[in-house]
Amino acid sequence: MQQRTTRLIRIGIDYHLRMAEVIEEKIKNYRTAPFDARFPNTNQTRNCFQNYLDFHRCNKALSDKGQDVAPCDWYQRVYKSLCPLSWVGRWDEQIESGSFPGKI
Amino acid sequence: MFATLSRQLKNHPALIPLLFFISGGTAMSLMYLARLALRSPEVSWDRNNNPEPWNKMAPTDQYKFYSASIDYSKLKKNGPDY
Repeated sequence: MQQRTTRLIRIGIDYHLRMAEVIEEKIKNYRTAPFDARFPNTNQTRNCFQNYLDFHRCNKALSDKGQDVAPCDWYQRVYKSLCPLSWVGRWDEQIESGSFPGKI
Repeated sequence: MFATLSRQLKNHPALIPLLFFISGGTAMSLMYLARLALRSPEVSWDRNNNPEPWNKMAPTDQYKFYSASIDYSKLKKNGPDY
Protein backbone atom coordinates (compact mmCIF):
# COMPACT_ATOMS: atom_id res chain seq x y z
CA MET A 1 0.00 0.00 0.00
CA GLN A 2 2.80 2.38 0.93
CA GLN A 3 4.78 1.26 -2.15
CA ARG A 4 1.77 1.97 -4.32
CA THR A 5 1.37 5.44 -2.78
CA THR A 6 5.05 6.19 -3.24
CA ARG A 7 4.84 4.99 -6.84
CA LEU A 8 1.83 7.20 -7.53
CA ILE A 9 3.55 10.21 -5.97
CA ARG A 10 6.61 9.55 -8.10
CA ILE A 11 4.45 9.28 -11.22
CA GLY A 12 2.87 12.63 -10.35
CA ILE A 13 6.27 14.26 -9.85
CA ASP A 14 7.53 12.75 -13.12
CA TYR A 15 4.52 14.16 -14.97
CA HIS A 16 5.17 17.64 -13.59
CA LEU A 17 8.90 17.50 -14.35
CA ARG A 18 8.32 16.23 -17.87
CA MET A 19 5.60 18.80 -18.46
CA ALA A 20 7.93 21.53 -17.18
CA GLU A 21 10.61 20.37 -19.65
CA VAL A 22 8.14 20.31 -22.53
CA ILE A 23 6.93 23.81 -21.67
CA GLU A 24 10.52 25.08 -21.30
CA GLU A 25 11.23 23.71 -24.76
CA LYS A 26 8.11 25.36 -26.16
CA ILE A 27 9.00 28.69 -24.53
CA LYS A 28 12.54 28.50 -25.92
CA ASN A 29 11.25 27.91 -29.45
CA TYR A 30 8.45 30.45 -29.15
CA ARG A 31 7.75 32.50 -32.27
CA THR A 32 4.17 33.65 -31.87
CA ALA A 33 0.87 32.64 -30.34
CA PRO A 34 -0.20 29.32 -31.87
CA PHE A 35 -3.63 28.54 -33.22
CA ASP A 36 -6.16 28.02 -30.45
CA ALA A 37 -9.21 25.97 -31.38
CA ARG A 38 -11.31 27.79 -28.78
CA PHE A 39 -10.91 31.06 -30.69
CA PRO A 40 -10.89 30.27 -34.40
CA ASN A 41 -12.27 33.55 -35.73
CA THR A 42 -10.63 36.83 -36.61
CA ASN A 43 -11.60 38.52 -33.35
CA GLN A 44 -8.93 37.38 -30.89
CA THR A 45 -9.97 39.60 -27.99
CA ARG A 46 -11.08 36.70 -25.87
CA ASN A 47 -7.91 34.79 -26.67
CA CYS A 48 -5.89 37.70 -25.27
CA PHE A 49 -8.02 38.02 -22.15
CA GLN A 50 -8.13 34.27 -21.54
CA ASN A 51 -4.35 33.98 -21.65
CA TYR A 52 -3.96 36.96 -19.35
CA LEU A 53 -6.34 35.32 -16.88
CA ASP A 54 -4.61 31.96 -17.29
CA PHE A 55 -1.22 33.51 -16.55
CA HIS A 56 -2.41 35.00 -13.29
CA ARG A 57 -4.42 31.93 -12.33
CA CYS A 58 -1.43 29.68 -13.10
CA ASN A 59 0.85 31.85 -10.96
CA LYS A 60 -1.61 31.76 -8.10
CA ALA A 61 -2.27 28.00 -8.38
CA LEU A 62 1.36 26.95 -8.69
CA SER A 63 2.63 29.24 -5.99
CA ASP A 64 -0.14 28.05 -3.68
CA LYS A 65 1.02 24.48 -4.33
CA GLY A 66 4.62 25.51 -3.77
CA GLN A 67 5.77 24.59 -7.26
CA ASP A 68 7.95 26.59 -9.61
CA VAL A 69 5.94 29.17 -11.59
CA ALA A 70 8.21 29.02 -14.66
CA PRO A 71 5.71 27.05 -16.84
CA CYS A 72 3.25 29.94 -16.52
CA ASP A 73 5.54 32.03 -18.71
CA TRP A 74 3.97 30.35 -21.74
CA TYR A 75 0.72 32.20 -21.05
CA GLN A 76 2.61 35.43 -20.56
CA ARG A 77 4.37 35.09 -23.93
CA VAL A 78 1.03 34.41 -25.63
CA TYR A 79 -0.80 37.34 -24.13
CA LYS A 80 2.10 39.66 -24.79
CA SER A 81 1.94 38.61 -28.44
CA LEU A 82 -1.79 39.11 -28.72
CA CYS A 83 -2.87 41.93 -26.43
CA PRO A 84 -2.51 45.65 -27.07
CA LEU A 85 -0.07 47.19 -24.61
CA SER A 86 -2.63 49.68 -23.35
CA TRP A 87 -4.94 46.87 -22.28
CA VAL A 88 -2.17 45.02 -20.50
CA GLY A 89 -1.13 48.22 -18.73
CA ARG A 90 -4.68 48.95 -17.66
CA TRP A 91 -5.28 45.42 -16.39
CA ASP A 92 -1.99 45.41 -14.48
CA GLU A 93 -2.98 48.64 -12.76
CA GLN A 94 -6.38 47.22 -11.96
CA ILE A 95 -4.83 44.13 -10.44
CA GLU A 96 -2.57 46.25 -8.28
CA SER A 97 -5.43 48.42 -7.12
CA GLY A 98 -7.68 45.39 -6.61
CA SER A 99 -10.34 46.43 -9.12
CA PHE A 100 -9.65 43.83 -11.82
CA PRO A 101 -12.99 42.55 -13.14
CA GLY A 102 -11.88 39.03 -14.10
CA LYS A 103 -11.87 36.08 -11.75
CA ILE A 104 -8.35 35.06 -10.75
CA MET B 1 -57.08 33.23 -36.32
CA PHE B 2 -56.91 29.71 -37.75
CA ALA B 3 -60.55 29.92 -38.85
CA THR B 4 -59.76 33.07 -40.83
CA LEU B 5 -56.64 31.42 -42.22
CA SER B 6 -58.36 28.22 -43.36
CA ARG B 7 -61.21 30.24 -44.94
CA GLN B 8 -58.69 32.34 -46.85
CA LEU B 9 -56.79 29.26 -47.96
CA LYS B 10 -59.97 27.55 -49.17
CA ASN B 11 -60.84 30.63 -51.22
CA HIS B 12 -57.31 31.09 -52.56
CA PRO B 13 -55.59 27.69 -52.56
CA ALA B 14 -52.55 29.11 -54.34
CA LEU B 15 -51.56 30.66 -51.04
CA ILE B 16 -50.73 27.28 -49.49
CA PRO B 17 -47.15 27.02 -50.84
CA LEU B 18 -46.59 30.56 -49.60
CA LEU B 19 -47.65 29.45 -46.13
CA PHE B 20 -45.26 26.51 -46.21
CA PHE B 21 -42.28 28.51 -47.33
CA ILE B 22 -42.80 31.39 -44.94
CA SER B 23 -43.39 29.15 -41.94
CA GLY B 24 -40.48 26.90 -42.96
CA GLY B 25 -38.16 29.89 -43.23
CA THR B 26 -39.29 31.28 -39.89
CA ALA B 27 -38.88 27.92 -38.22
CA MET B 28 -35.36 27.51 -39.62
CA SER B 29 -34.28 30.98 -38.43
CA LEU B 30 -35.67 30.39 -34.96
CA MET B 31 -34.01 26.99 -34.77
CA TYR B 32 -30.67 28.51 -35.76
CA LEU B 33 -30.99 31.18 -33.10
CA ALA B 34 -31.93 28.58 -30.52
CA ARG B 35 -28.91 26.46 -31.53
CA LEU B 36 -26.62 29.45 -31.20
CA ALA B 37 -28.08 30.33 -27.81
CA LEU B 38 -28.00 26.85 -26.35
CA ARG B 39 -25.12 25.05 -28.06
CA SER B 40 -22.58 27.72 -28.84
CA PRO B 41 -19.47 27.47 -26.65
CA GLU B 42 -19.34 31.26 -26.41
CA VAL B 43 -22.60 31.58 -24.49
CA SER B 44 -22.75 31.21 -20.74
CA TRP B 45 -26.22 31.06 -19.20
CA ASP B 46 -25.17 30.19 -15.69
CA ARG B 47 -22.37 32.43 -14.47
CA ASN B 48 -21.85 30.56 -11.22
CA ASN B 49 -21.69 26.98 -12.45
CA ASN B 50 -20.48 27.38 -16.01
CA PRO B 51 -18.55 30.62 -16.29
CA GLU B 52 -16.28 29.83 -19.24
CA PRO B 53 -17.84 27.19 -21.49
CA TRP B 54 -15.23 27.64 -24.21
CA ASN B 55 -12.65 26.12 -21.90
CA LYS B 56 -14.54 22.86 -22.02
CA MET B 57 -13.69 22.34 -25.69
CA ALA B 58 -10.99 19.81 -26.44
CA PRO B 59 -8.07 21.17 -28.51
CA THR B 60 -9.26 19.10 -31.46
CA ASP B 61 -12.86 20.38 -31.47
CA GLN B 62 -13.78 22.12 -34.68
CA TYR B 63 -16.03 25.10 -34.05
CA LYS B 64 -16.23 26.46 -37.57
CA PHE B 65 -18.10 24.75 -40.32
CA TYR B 66 -15.29 24.44 -42.85
CA SER B 67 -11.61 24.50 -42.18
CA ALA B 68 -9.34 24.93 -45.17
CA SER B 69 -5.86 24.91 -43.72
CA ILE B 70 -5.98 23.73 -40.10
CA ASP B 71 -5.79 19.99 -39.48
CA TYR B 72 -7.73 19.71 -36.25
CA SER B 73 -6.72 16.14 -35.51
CA LYS B 74 -3.11 17.22 -34.95
CA LEU B 75 -3.76 19.99 -32.42
CA LYS B 76 -2.80 19.66 -28.79
CA LYS B 77 -3.33 21.76 -25.71
CA ASN B 78 -0.99 24.73 -25.76
CA GLY B 79 -0.32 25.86 -22.23
CA PRO B 80 0.73 24.01 -19.10
CA ASP B 81 -1.81 22.48 -16.72
CA TYR B 82 -2.23 24.00 -13.34
